[in-house]
Amino acid sequence: MQSFADKLKIFKENKVVNWHEHVWADAKGNLNVADADRLVEGAKKAGFDVLVCSLPVTRGNPAPEMCKRYNDLVYEAMNRYPGIIQGMCYVNPGYAKEAVKEIDRCINELGMIGVKLYNQYYLSDPAVHSVIEKCIELDIPILEHAGKMHPRSEDQPFISDGTHFAMAAEKFPEALFIYAHIGGGGDYHWSLKAIADYPNIFLDISGSIYDEDIIEETVRKIGVERVMFGTDGSFSSSMGKLLGCKLSEAEKIAILNNKTMERYLERGMKRC
Amino acid sequence: MLIDMCGYLGHWPFRKINNNDVESFVKVMDDYKINLSVVSSLNAVFYKDTMQGNEEIAEEIKPYSDRLVAFCVINPAYPAWEKDFRTCIEKLGMKGLMMYPYYHPYRLTEANAIRLANLAGEAGIPVHIPVSIINVRQRHWLDTTEILNTSDFIALIKNAPNTDFIVSNGATDAIAAAAKDADSKRKGKVYYDFQRVEVFLPSFERLLATVGPEQIVLGTGNPLQYLDTQFVKLHYMDVSDEVKDLITYKNAARLLKLA
Repeated sequence: MQSFADKLKIFKENKVVNWHEHVWADAKGNLNVADADRLVEGAKKAGFDVLVCSLPVTRGNPAPEMCKRYNDLVYEAMNRYPGIIQGMCYVNPGYAKEAVKEIDRCINELGMIGVKLYNQYYLSDPAVHSVIEKCIELDIPILEHAGKMHPRSEDQPFISDGTHFAMAAEKFPEALFIYAHIGGGGDYHWSLKAIADYPNIFLDISGSIYDEDIIEETVRKIGVERVMFGTDGSFSSSMGKLLGCKLSEAEKIAILNNKTMERYLERGMKRC
Repeated sequence: MLIDMCGYLGHWPFRKINNNDVESFVKVMDDYKINLSVVSSLNAVFYKDTMQGNEEIAEEIKPYSDRLVAFCVINPAYPAWEKDFRTCIEKLGMKGLMMYPYYHPYRLTEANAIRLANLAGEAGIPVHIPVSIINVRQRHWLDTTEILNTSDFIALIKNAPNTDFIVSNGATDAIAAAAKDADSKRKGKVYYDFQRVEVFLPSFERLLATVGPEQIVLGTGNPLQYLDTQFVKLHYMDVSDEVKDLITYKNAARLLKLA
């Protein structure tokens, strides 16, 4: 019988790309360095090689200047931890012209590797089209905050669930969407069924929910090739669900470093 | 030595559950080297008469009396609850009580709930109140939207001063902080698990700093959740071996009055 310390070696002996993490601003609006240091320290201890981070505005409808300011903080974190923190560019699609310009800046000037969207619009909303088209043009993935709540979330009325992803994926088959935190977004059975038939929708396993069978059900529905490792502030839960699920060692390793996503990561690494 | 203070047997109505029969449950315990688990009946939560679930589980665990300890589920808003409680403790040999104020129609501030908690104290058994059975975000549309109300819980511990309580599967660091003052004035104590408290963030440190190592126990939520998450935390928590022993079995053994 394998000891638990032996079980944990999968994180140390393989490349681990954590596709869903965040850095945050402090009360003064600067990079919260203490939290970022703790994040990176924890990642090193746990055996994560790369942290893909963003800094979204989680409530309200932020102006472009605020998105830009937050992206600059992510860039500061990327420079503080070169090779460990990779950045995702957060934009508010409601400001379409400014959002497209900001994506250009973040990808081409700051070396970020994808776009992060939050709950300002459903992913299927026409307001998001310009952003999706820009991501197709630049060949970058879109990581969208997601969840299906019963009843509907009052404080996040436009949070996307699997059905919104399916509509966007149908309209934009060339785009690559990442459904965020299957372990933090409510009724995951709902969203897995909705996205199952769309090969351009991937998902990350982050989130504090570690219901027994969540990972097996995810792989049964969408296949291991579309599943990515992530934590979103919940290292233990995310590590535990990967360790505890009944997948083969090879499948777990495939999730820890999703091969399809490698090319995006490589672009970011060239910057370092 | 490992004692798991939070396990369940039976059916969960809102999604398929694996390893929820007694043989499979014990097999999982073996896989994770868990010596003893506290179990209670999920069926009892949803049956109108909780006793039907209590009687089922008492019978089921008989062949595993060295591995499993049962807690009873009592709804103090249902007729004959006091008789049922006594039957569970005195005849069925149950070693603790589960209360679910968010599934059963009562509040912890009501007289019957307070009386039930005091009866548990008099019987020398702990009262376990999970913050929720599953995280409320994952809920089925027919499931409850409520979780343990912290204010009601604090009122209850004040009203049942000699009773030991266990709070599991929630933001126990925050609940412990809120209940600290009330708990410090009691003879009984509140114990907390860390199912939803992260060791890579300050939340576990906060829980430990608030209540100390003698009021923390291991709970896994088996079979509703992967057990590995708690083992990741045990591996990475920055505590001495002595403290880890308290958390993983010594506190639980004391609560369960094991020799």
